[in-house]
Amino acid sequence: MIDPLQLAEDVVKKLKKDFDDVSAIITWKNSVMIKLWNTEPSVTQSWINTEATVYVAKNRKTLQLSLSIQDPEKIVERVSNSIPALHRLEESELYAPLPEPKAWKPLGGLIDKAVINAIDSPKEPAQEMIDAALKEGAERVAGTLTLNHAKRAVVTNKGFSGFEEGTSVEAYLRAFKGLMSGHWGYGSRHLDLRAIRDVGSKAGYFATITPNKVDYEPGKYDVILSPLVIGNLMNYVGFMASAAAVLMGYSMFAKFKPGDLVGNYKLTLEDIPRDPELPSSAAFDDEGTPTYNKPIIEKGILKNLLHNSGTARKMQAKPTGNAGLTFPTPWNLRISTGELSDDNLPKELGNGLIINNNWYTRLQNYVEGIFSTVSRDACLLVKNGEIVGDVGRVRVADRMDRVMKNIVDFGKNLYLIRWWEVRTPIKAPYILIKDVNITKPFA
Amino acid sequence: MRGDKVIGAGTEAKEGLGIRVLVNGSLGFSATNDLSKEGVRKALNAAIARARRVSSLRKSPIEFSENCLGKTSYSVMVKKQLENLSIEERLSLGKELWKTVQSSVKEVKVPVTMFEISTSMEEKFIINSDGARIHSIIPRVNAGLNIVLVSPSKGSLQRMIEFGGSGGVELIDYWRMSHRVRDEIPKLEKVLLKGVEPPKEPVDLVAGSEVVGLIVHESAGHPMEADRILGREAAQAGESFIKPEMVGNYRVGSDLVTVVEDPTIPGSSGYYLFDDEGVPARPRYLYKDGLINEPLHNRHTARVFKTYSNGAARAMDYNSEPIVRMSNTYFKPGNSSFEELLEGVELGVYMKSYMEWNIDDTRWNMRFVGLEAYMIRKGELAEPVRNPVLEVTTKGLYSRVIDVGKDLKFYPGMCGKGEPGQGVPVWFGGPDLKISKIRLGVISH
Repeated sequence: MIDPLQLAEDVVKKLKKDFDDVSAIITWKNSVMIKLWNTEPSVTQSWINTEATVYVAKNRKTLQLSLSIQDPEKIVERVSNSIPALHRLEESELYAPLPEPKAWKPLGGLIDKAVINAIDSPKEPAQEMIDAALKEGAERVAGTLTLNHAKRAVVTNKGFSGFEEGTSVEAYLRAFKGLMSGHWGYGSRHLDLRAIRDVGSKAGYFATITPNKVDYEPGKYDVILSPLVIGNLMNYVGFMASAAAVLMGYSMFAKFKPGDLVGNYKLTLEDIPRDPELPSSAAFDDEGTPTYNKPIIEKGILKNLLHNSGTARKMQAKPTGNAGLTFPTPWNLRISTGELSDDNLPKELGNGLIINNNWYTRLQNYVEGIFSTVSRDACLLVKNGEIVGDVGRVRVADRMDRVMKNIVDFGKNLYLIRWWEVRTPIKAPYILIKDVNITKPFA
Repeated sequence: MRGDKVIGAGTEAKEGLGIRVLVNGSLGFSATNDLSKEGVRKALNAAIARARRVSSLRKSPIEFSENCLGKTSYSVMVKKQLENLSIEERLSLGKELWKTVQSSVKEVKVPVTMFEISTSMEEKFIINSDGARIHSIIPRVNAGLNIVLVSPSKGSLQRMIEFGGSGGVELIDYWRMSHRVRDEIPKLEKVLLKGVEPPKEPVDLVAGSEVVGLIVHESAGHPMEADRILGREAAQAGESFIKPEMVGNYRVGSDLVTVVEDPTIPGSSGYYLFDDEGVPARPRYLYKDGLINEPLHNRHTARVFKTYSNGAARAMDYNSEPIVRMSNTYFKPGNSSFEELLEGVELGVYMKSYMEWNIDDTRWNMRFVGLEAYMIRKGELAEPVRNPVLEVTTKGLYSRVIDVGKDLKFYPGMCGKGEPGQGVPVWFGGPDLKISKIRLGVISH
């Protein structure tokens, strides 16, 4: 097996004489995914890959190479062949010298040997997840279980040399009963069979929560969004918190500056790379800057945009340990908790909708934050604290800043969420929001 | 490029091997970029062993349809080689577009544009134990422009324009990007400054070819993917309102509605002549004369449907399993000119382009929010309309198609599906359509 750190160091050593800045990021992974369909595996997929990303800069001109090559000589050859192209470029507006190395503190607890052991034999956790849903009364299930063992090395010509190794688990399941369905997802560094069973149980719970189908009228509703739904929406907020998104016209935060009120005072959204529980935890970013936990929004106030060296220089800020060589991104997210009881959501809501899951969030205008998203799985009409029935698929069509300002409260519990529509892992609670615009097709 | 400044540049070189195996009726897939004998053996062993270990969870074996498979080599011919597009020319294109955008507006500001241009070459060799041996080389060119228009009093408007196809650098001349931007930006400025709300009552809608292309991709192409019909994507991109028993007899639209899927269109983004299981490509009529007609199949779904694969298996790259995908999807053109579509419309709306869209996971309840749009009054285009919302069911829309334009146009896109997500290049298109008596919504402010 290739040693990622050695490979990265070899590449930087061979290239540093030709450039002002050089960094090499080498990743290796061995992962397996069981994809479930009609309560049985549709395919078992495996990946054993080493990937190289090399960043070079000369005279403020920058070039990034993504290579699926493991031989250092060939990597160097590819980069060297690109030198004429680099010279013909113009200076990058977002160029900044790679940072001088700072002390970084490794994260503990990123490796779970149970994950590594299960990669070659993932049947048991998959079976546990399926059984838990069927036990709740589900008729059939679909979903995935992914087990991943990964290594990552970052080396720069400024002297930074970092290596991390970790495991991760992603499990999500959709359970069906008749015309109803329920969904849940989970992401962690660890193989926790109880949590995997919970994915099945919760999906089964929502799939069997009511036999009634009822109609609804479009309009403003108080809604409780599940951690999956708020996880999806906060993924978009996290993306828009990237300073690059602001600079490129892909962010509602272009209208705001740190210190501005952007949400209800109860809302705190953090980037938490140093939480070893979530799958994307990291001790250093792709430029070698040490990571740290930070609020993006704190008590409703925009506190931090996410920066790499280049965006920080452009916006006269400091790097936040979120590189992304071109595009800074959040690592893991966490939302504040509140007083809602997860066990009694209909009573907490009184009247409105409880939405289990959503997908296909799209924006009419990133700068304005105008968006819509479509519910899937259970969408429960609640009247006087009781579930009346499932209304089927509805569309939330609103503005992101208004939704954040109309937050009423959060659940007491945080759930570790990752699934197809929540790619940045998040610790999220249930959330109650007032006056959310719900639409319906004309015909 | 951000405005006329370079943000960054990059190159990507990916090579590797994807292996698919059937073991005890269980399907396994493995990928690696370690192409040493040891690396390949390790990947093969992983595919076999891991598929075998979960095979006891299967109730019935996965099987493939019998199909004639190809043994050939093909490539897309180019007039101007990709490597002939210099760095300087790429920068020049970006700067020209920035200048064109800035000179095309009068009252509004354009604080930012983002321009990307990429060229790619995909070389692929498909070989399987049933006899397929397909070698292909497909060059592609893509470009995209994101524009934000801002008015202090009217807010902002965002537009993304995309260009794409298979072929060489000659595509860039064909696209005439600056010309298109120069034509479109002043119209968008008028929409931002003077756009009115659409009528509240149901009116006739003329949907422009760009909108029609997306509609057929989302509400005809996706629901007709047989793996989706069978539920293989249930936990990801979802299932389909179409059930196997509806094929061939369910009426989804008026008899003017025919939607075609065709990977063999020269120059298209979704171009291929053999799919990634080695099955020859051909046009498929998804909806025909208003009826649900022929789903897209790979060899697995075809076997379940007791038919033959029609060549829809695509993998994004070596790292991805081949699954049922679209290629180029379009609404079959009719005979009417644009003026004839407007004729007789006392009060209506013409929706030429869109920004926001989505559809539910069964492909039934869809929404498209117009960007460049106009009122139609007494058969003629009138004042601009801002953000008209077309929110309708699949059958609700197709059953209201009352006239079909004659000019077929295509638009590029990147279609996402699968787990891990696979983005494959596609085209979608159609002519302008006339849709009768539909109520349009407005964005909630």
